[in-house]
Amino acid sequence: MKKIFVIEDLCNGCRLCETFCSSLEDGVFSEDGGRISVLKMPGEEKDIPIIGCDGKCIRSLFNENTPTCVSLCPTGALFYSEQQKAVETRLFYESAKKEHSIFKVIAPWKWPFPWRRPNAKKATSASEDAI
Amino acid sequence: MSIKIRDNKIKLLRIDLSTGKNRTEILPDSWLKKYLGCKGITTRLVYDEIPAGTDPFGPDNVIIFGTGPMDGMPVGMGRTSIACKSPRGCIAEGSAGGFFGPELRRADIDYILIRGKSEHPVYIFIEDSKVEIRDASHLWGLTTDETDTELRKELKDPNFQMRYIGPAAENLVHSAPIFGNLNQAGGRAGCGEVMGSKKLKAIAVRGHHGIAPKDYDAFVKAYKEFRKKVDIKTSRDMWSPIWTTYGAPILAPVFNDAGNLMTRNAQEMSWDWKKATGISAEKFLDDQVIKSKACWCCPTPSCQKLYKVNSGKYKGFKSGNYWAGQPLTFGSLIDNDDLNLLLVLSGLCNKYGLDIFHVGYTLCWAMECYERGLLTKEDTDGLELKFGCKDHDGLVDLIRKIAMKEGFGALLSLGCTEAAKKIGKGSEKYCLSVKGQEIEGIAERNLLMVGLGIAVSEVGPDHTRFYPPYPCNPSLMSREELEDLGLDLDLKLAFDSRNPKQKGKLLRWFTISRAIIESIPSCVFLIRDTLGLDMRPWFELYKAATGIDFEYSEFIKCGERVMNLDRLFNVREGFRRKDDHPPYRFAHEDVPNFGYKKLEPALFDPMLDEYYEANGWDKETSIPTEKKLKDLNLEDILVDLRAQNIEVK
Repeated sequence: MKKIFVIEDLCNGCRLCETFCSSLEDGVFSEDGGRISVLKMPGEEKDIPIIGCDGKCIRSLFNENTPTCVSLCPTGALFYSEQQKAVETRLFYESAKKEHSIFKVIAPWKWPFPWRRPNAKKATSASEDAI
Repeated sequence: MSIKIRDNKIKLLRIDLSTGKNRTEILPDSWLKKYLGCKGITTRLVYDEIPAGTDPFGPDNVIIFGTGPMDGMPVGMGRTSIACKSPRGCIAEGSAGGFFGPELRRADIDYILIRGKSEHPVYIFIEDSKVEIRDASHLWGLTTDETDTELRKELKDPNFQMRYIGPAAENLVHSAPIFGNLNQAGGRAGCGEVMGSKKLKAIAVRGHHGIAPKDYDAFVKAYKEFRKKVDIKTSRDMWSPIWTTYGAPILAPVFNDAGNLMTRNAQEMSWDWKKATGISAEKFLDDQVIKSKACWCCPTPSCQKLYKVNSGKYKGFKSGNYWAGQPLTFGSLIDNDDLNLLLVLSGLCNKYGLDIFHVGYTLCWAMECYERGLLTKEDTDGLELKFGCKDHDGLVDLIRKIAMKEGFGALLSLGCTEAAKKIGKGSEKYCLSVKGQEIEGIAERNLLMVGLGIAVSEVGPDHTRFYPPYPCNPSLMSREELEDLGLDLDLKLAFDSRNPKQKGKLLRWFTISRAIIESIPSCVFLIRDTLGLDMRPWFELYKAATGIDFEYSEFIKCGERVMNLDRLFNVREGFRRKDDHPPYRFAHEDVPNFGYKKLEPALFDPMLDEYYEANGWDKETSIPTEKKLKDLNLEDILVDLRAQNIEVK
């Protein structure tokens, strides 16, 4: 069963997921209506999205097979996959982050950085279609 | 829990700090169609509420916080416009992102207008319909981050959104802005100073209403189109991936190569290559960045970043944001290639609530004066204030002294224009300022449109009024599509950055279109792909959100009206053509090594004429003509100007 997973280090706290999710049922953007909410931590090293759903989206606005919040996430902090695939994806992210600092702010599946550094080892990749 | 949905009336909350009273007023619905919102309506309110000749620090000056119809929806980016009359006499208007705007809309308020003056420090507490003025003696004197923490502790709800000032604004330091979300500043033209003079330390807002666009399905459809243009994978703009990941400081080395990087108070326009790359965004991302932080619903993954200095004397220093301004103001302008020191200086400006451009440009002005012998060690409290100053602790302490107006800091706290008046001896020549306000680091003599834009900007130099300074790419659109837009521009000449022709017309279009984006509101940093030339995606979003039915040409006219309102406020305060000029250095010195010519009258005046003419303003005085005012349905302002004995042709 596919679920939504979170990489808290990548979440920049924009609240796009929370805001759009709240509007899926009745077209009203609000704080309490959504099934995902973001804990904003001003000045802290984390922002924490808390997911209160099973990943079956009320209305997938952007891509039928992906929940709205995952399609919207600008950094790739949310991803939608099977449990086993999720472990691989997370490991892929952690190794990519060590390889290049750009992955501190964006996930490699959002923007595969095209310029490699000399001598850098390529991170073992999980397939992109998992996301 | 059922959510109350707010209506689409424009609500203005009036607060008088002298009497402690407040009341809510409904503004006419027609204003949405006339001024759009946010910047548009705040500018109109500034014109209406502040009579000519008002003392900026007196109780009659008002300070306005404005949101717009798109705030609270995923396009507003949390923009809040802040406006008042600047201590320099002109209009002061600027906006900041964050989360304050949407929270204010959720509290069922669109605009806050604050008048009067409190006798002791206060802060304003707003929770839906509950408005209170509370004592802030315990917050007075605290830095911005301390204020944020203290207030959050006191309010016991992490979702309160706040705007506050630092000690610099309390001490009425020149150009101090208003802060929020720790490191986001807005209103650098002196809004913080005015807030400080009213003894208003902070505003805290919490709201629980839901906000619904008029036509949700149309909104989602328009939003998808918008995302296509700004998203990293689908945008056709070559800058998109770069802005999206590294952000604006990536510009320092690029500027350096093109002769655009102001170095040593712009005596030169390029720096040592090693130094320029040493403070670049790549190095910053590698070493100091902890993570990115975003404004409300922004589709950009990484615009502002939280950082921690991880080596050297200042190890452990934590702050946020490294944008295009910082590598200049605390890097090349003062010839400092130590990224750690740069981040500490800029972080301290955030903490003390200072404007980085004021501090950076005044500091490099003082350094040039010191090297030329106009300032001595006695003036600088013993600091060897040369370019590339090695006394790092001295510089760090100087930032505190500026905020506290102590010793040598008291002189620099006046801003370079006033400081130069004080010491005289020809030091005015080294000031990089227009209308008493320091410039913002974009090269004027190379990008001629910027030179013109900086000179004519009503609030003093403000690049966001015509951002971005690089040419957006018209070749992304077909000839037919371009003709449909009715731009009235010869694009080939207009986008040739070193040809003075068509610059007035181009600047006019940029100013109008950016005024629209700031009024609906959204963020000018999101102008990607064709969004700077083709405003129709913004138009569709605005229509879906508000349900207003009007033509595209009327939408563009709103931008023109807002831009004219800015000018009209200044005209009423006595600003004329003579006030629209480039800084002395740019008008009198060529760029060494690159061959860019000075902006002398022979080059500059025809551009200025073209700009005034394109706008329908009188060339001699820069006052909008009667025909233009009638065309923009601003007849009431025409009557007002004539009542003040201002000759409108």
